[in-house]
Amino acid sequence: MTIAHSIQSIQFLSDFSESVLAYPIVLSTHLTCIALFGGMILATDLRLLGLTFKSLTITEVVTSLRPWKRVGGTIMIAMGLPLAASEAEKYAPNPFFWTKMIILGLIGVHALVFRPIVYNKTEELDKSPVIPTKAKLAAILSLVLWTGMFVMGRLIAYWD
Amino acid sequence: MFLQNAIADALNNTEWAFALAECVHIGGFAIGVGSIALVDLRLLNLGLRHESPARILRYTEPWTVFALVFVIFSGLALFLSQVSIYRENLIFPIKMYVLAAALIYNFTIHRKVATTKDPPPVVSKLVAIVSLLLWVAVVFGGIFTGFLV
Repeated sequence: MTIAHSIQSIQFLSDFSESVLAYPIVLSTHLTCIALFGGMILATDLRLLGLTFKSLTITEVVTSLRPWKRVGGTIMIAMGLPLAASEAEKYAPNPFFWTKMIILGLIGVHALVFRPIVYNKTEELDKSPVIPTKAKLAAILSLVLWTGMFVMGRLIAYWD
Repeated sequence: MFLQNAIADALNNTEWAFALAECVHIGGFAIGVGSIALVDLRLLNLGLRHESPARILRYTEPWTVFALVFVIFSGLALFLSQVSIYRENLIFPIKMYVLAAALIYNFTIHRKVATTKDPPPVVSKLVAIVSLLLWVAVVFGGIFTGFLV
């Protein structure tokens, strides 16, 4: 708890959590990113499952959305850090927060596993007459992990 | 009145009901706004360029409508659970006006331009930017409703 206390006592962070405007602005930006970039993740996953955007190739969907997802992910994490750090003492014992962090780690593992065999091999997927199982598996796991991230994020506020 | 009390009771007395309504509300707007943003991305010519905006709209519009229905009903439930608090809130009415503007805009001007064949690029881009600004303003309005009470 003392580490958490010293983190949130950093002047910048304590000013931030007490600010009437900065805190809700950062939180709103974090949530806006969920909508804008969550929509892109959903679009990619549904395309990999063959459920929508069928007239676009998988390559087109994955590669044209990729830079925007990176921008979105960066903003989302940049906003999430001060949100959590400024209330470190509340977050440190919160099981929903840690579950969210574990899921975030699993999303990293998902990228490491599936990037070389699915997301960087989209031309191969487009040539295949049916969408390969590995691509569908990547999409389903992505949907499950991101839904988990979202629900845990919301539940953080409900633990006391 | 009876329904209002019933919903308020359910959401205030059941620990998980309010959280669930909020999850549906936020998840719904994420999908609704996210699907609209895909059309805007196309209108801005920043992604999914191999397909026309009209086609992108045709793919995304069912999710938009489906998601917005969930957002509105869960939002209504959240509102009815604490009517007096929302009535005194300074930001909430602004959020509702911006939401009304965003909804009307989305199904009129935005839809019209997205389905028009080859509109002037300036028009497409302007329409997309206004759409994104309106929806971002609704999200900010929602958060500020909760913070500035």
